[in-house]
Amino acid sequence: MRPIETRYALSGDVRIAYQVVGQGSFDLVFVPGFISNLDLHWEDEGFSRLLKRLSAFSRLILFDKRGTGLSDRVDSHHLPSLETRMDDVRAVMDAAGSGRAALLGASEGASMAMLFAATYPERTRALVLYGGYAHFHKWVMPPERLDAFIEMAETAWGTGATLQHFAPGRVDDPRFATWWGRFERLSASPTAAAALARMNAGIDVRGVLAAIRAPTLLIHRRNDARVDPDASRFLARKIANARLVEVPGRDHPIWTGDVERVADLIEVFLTGQRVVAETERALAALLATRIHDTARLGDRMWNERFQRFQETWRLLVGHHGGRAAGMHGELMISRFDSPARAIRCAAALREATQGIGVASAQGIHVGEIELRGPPTGLTVRVATQLAAHARRGDILASRLVADLATGSGLHFTDAGRITLDELSEPLALVLATSEQHLEPACHSRIKATEPAALTARESEVVNLIADGKSNAAIAAELRLSEHTVKRHVANILLKLDLPSRAAAAAFSVRHPGPDGP
Amino acid sequence: MATKTQAVNGAAIKEAIEGRDGRMLSSFYADDALVRVIDRNNPPSKPREIRGRAAISTFWDDICSRAMTHKVDTTIADGNSLAFTQACAYPDGTKVFAAAMLELKDGQIARQTVVQAWDE
Repeated sequence: MRPIETRYALSGDVRIAYQVVGQGSFDLVFVPGFISNLDLHWEDEGFSRLLKRLSAFSRLILFDKRGTGLSDRVDSHHLPSLETRMDDVRAVMDAAGSGRAALLGASEGASMAMLFAATYPERTRALVLYGGYAHFHKWVMPPERLDAFIEMAETAWGTGATLQHFAPGRVDDPRFATWWGRFERLSASPTAAAALARMNAGIDVRGVLAAIRAPTLLIHRRNDARVDPDASRFLARKIANARLVEVPGRDHPIWTGDVERVADLIEVFLTGQRVVAETERALAALLATRIHDTARLGDRMWNERFQRFQETWRLLVGHHGGRAAGMHGELMISRFDSPARAIRCAAALREATQGIGVASAQGIHVGEIELRGPPTGLTVRVATQLAAHARRGDILASRLVADLATGSGLHFTDAGRITLDELSEPLALVLATSEQHLEPACHSRIKATEPAALTARESEVVNLIADGKSNAAIAAELRLSEHTVKRHVANILLKLDLPSRAAAAAFSVRHPGPDGP
Repeated sequence: MATKTQAVNGAAIKEAIEGRDGRMLSSFYADDALVRVIDRNNPPSKPREIRGRAAISTFWDDICSRAMTHKVDTTIADGNSLAFTQACAYPDGTKVFAAAMLELKDGQIARQTVVQAWDE
């Protein structure tokens, strides 16, 4: 996507950065929460998806509040009042030629949006408040927890440490966690972030709620990690023309979780039109494969095996008629037209990991995905979470996968239920099993030989043997003399009572011990 | 009511659009009129549709609430068909250009298709 032009509106003597996207018949101003950065939003999949959806039916006006993102910095020790920041909304609307707009306030931005609606009713077409609140200490955090949060924000700002407080469901998503760290750094300085947090703690707009006349939609995630859903229930009672919709999920930022659901609600509310069913979506089986280090391999060895597995993964996915759909760190997503193919591929991948000396944990789920671009949305997140819950070697699938694979000859065992934040009902699970399940036999046969008997250096050597390396290559890699490597190999064969290098390699592959492969 | 009886023609549309007169614009449409907007975000296979005079009134009210300039440049009339182009600018310099094709019935707009592009 080409970059959106950033412009600046003058609010008093401060320049406020804004962007305008789309050309719908009415204006929609997005009032961001705690911090924001106009340029960075487009780099996150969820955020850009949300903005794309909203700008398809409106002229979407985005801005960074003073002191944040691309807007002018302000004196962190004398931050402006909520009223002054609210007036920035008016300044941006004036600059963009917006006489009247619908306002979408997210989180702390909801308080600003409410203040705007009460102050400028003639310029407020409608109000959408997502994860909003009227009083900080009552619904976000009490004063005693605030100090700890600010201290953490000050000392660890820029590392992404605040992510757990906003979107605990995304902490294990390395790409998003990295983005969040940049989001912190590029949205506010540490001092400004602490000052903003302190200032937000002073928010109390309960007194203006009765003055809001605009039709209002309230959206809140049922298990919101940051703002108590009671905050929106209170608003629903106090704002005259308001309707509350609670949606599943716990991640707080509006661009995380089920973005489509939130966008649907906003579109229906503002345009009065049912959202036309997406025709670019299709049913697909998604396989999430996560690989694990089995034995604290060093970085270099892990990287080598990771590369090998990646190649194998692409190959096997192709062989099973699937498509490699994306990689996020050590998590790989592939897409199949049928659940049975996804399961067979998962079984093949599991076998391959044993040959390579890594371990896999896999999840499979069936659902609708976008046909264009890498799959995003609920189906992907469910498959990913199943992979996170699966034990090493397991293929954990939703019950739906087994139901659809009836007649394929595959076998499943019941694996209970799992409660996922984004689903209103617990999800029934199965484990995919197969007759050629490899688990127990190998282990018992080699029980007599204890890999722990090998020294750390010998374990390194045996792993390199398993990689097919010669003594000379091993010597070079470990910076030893070839003579020393020979001695290590002899000791390894002696200790394990094995006849040859090939046998040692086979042992290494079959037996992932604490210091082995 | 004076506007109700006014027949829709290029000059009337030009006057209403350039004067940002939403009420007059709405009065040009038949009760069951359909306006379709095609642009980058609303492709030809899935255009944005605004049906009926009430929704069309809101549509024009929203557009006319913007502090922007509109210039209707070329109007072509041929029987029950009318076409015009429209060049618009926001105060920050952002420009929009639209071409509209209208089908008239009993002196009112029954169907309108707008194709638009803009600076972003």
